[in-house]
Amino acid sequence: MLDAFSKAVVTADASTACVSDINALKKFVSEGNRRLDAVNAIASNASCMVSDAVAGMICENQGLIQAGGNCYPNRRMAACLRDAEIILRYVSYALLAGDASVLDDRCLNGLKETYAALGVPTTSTVRAVQIMKAQAVAHIQDNPSEALAGAKLRKMGTPVVADRCASLVSEASSYFDRVIAALS
Amino acid sequence: MKSVVTTVIASADAAGRFPSTSDLESVQGSIQRAAARLEAAEKLAGNLDAVAKEAYDACIKKYPYLNNAGEANSTDTFKTKCQRDIKHYLRLIQYCLVVGGTGPLDEWGIAGQREVYRALGLPTAPYVEALSFARNRGCAPRDMSAQALVEYNALLDYAINSLS
Repeated sequence: MLDAFSKAVVTADASTACVSDINALKKFVSEGNRRLDAVNAIASNASCMVSDAVAGMICENQGLIQAGGNCYPNRRMAACLRDAEIILRYVSYALLAGDASVLDDRCLNGLKETYAALGVPTTSTVRAVQIMKAQAVAHIQDNPSEALAGAKLRKMGTPVVADRCASLVSEASSYFDRVIAALS
Repeated sequence: MKSVVTTVIASADAAGRFPSTSDLESVQGSIQRAAARLEAAEKLAGNLDAVAKEAYDACIKKYPYLNNAGEANSTDTFKTKCQRDIKHYLRLIQYCLVVGGTGPLDEWGIAGQREVYRALGLPTAPYVEALSFARNRGCAPRDMSAQALVEYNALLDYAINSLS
């Protein structure tokens, strides 16, 4: 498992050179608190994000909860919720580390093959991940949609900066995209 | 590669939980100390060749017998290899400064070090002398800030201890 710092070291070691791009790491350090807030935004809203994502996926494809569907009966729905939580958890680890290796090694490696063997429909899984991606973006920006969230609207109340953590938003999105790419 | 962040993630993963407040607190602690480490890493990277050359010269000065025929510093090939080894240690120390732990030194320097030096018949005392020279050469604020120098010296001490 690597983080942003050890990734730089491993890359430099491949050419037996010193780590030269210190400025990128300094940026990581200076924006460290924002990163921790972003991880906290995901971790604090995790169960809500997971249940909404799976419920949303099912709303769009009711066949999943009818007899023969992959979220029927409760036992399989529970497995689905568990898997969505696992994926979200590894994305939060990757965001904390600033590197995708933990997500790749511990979550995505062989996931597609496992789902194929178990008969899990990847299009539905991808849809749930897409919903979690949109939720994560909203929570990291601390700018959830009032129209969509309704009574469940939740703001973290962290100090908001002008760019609404654009670099962290795109980084988190890239990890979700990685999950989607690994599944499809 | 072991660092504060990867250790935190590994333990959170073993428990199957999201990063908790205390996890984030540990990462925050390591990030706070990172500024000094990165300063030292930057300065060391900029002067690595000079630092290595000085350390090498110092150890040959203390152990001139190494220049005798058949000894470890006797031919030009050997001389460049000796310098390369010192540079190698300093580079690993730079990596440790970047990572914020002794992982790179442990994994790429110290593991198997004893066996290699015994097999090649190399004495470790000159390495200790070279690194000790570097250890005592650094000066704050001439070379880097005081806190950065503390981090840098701590890693040199770690390498010296592994060799003695």
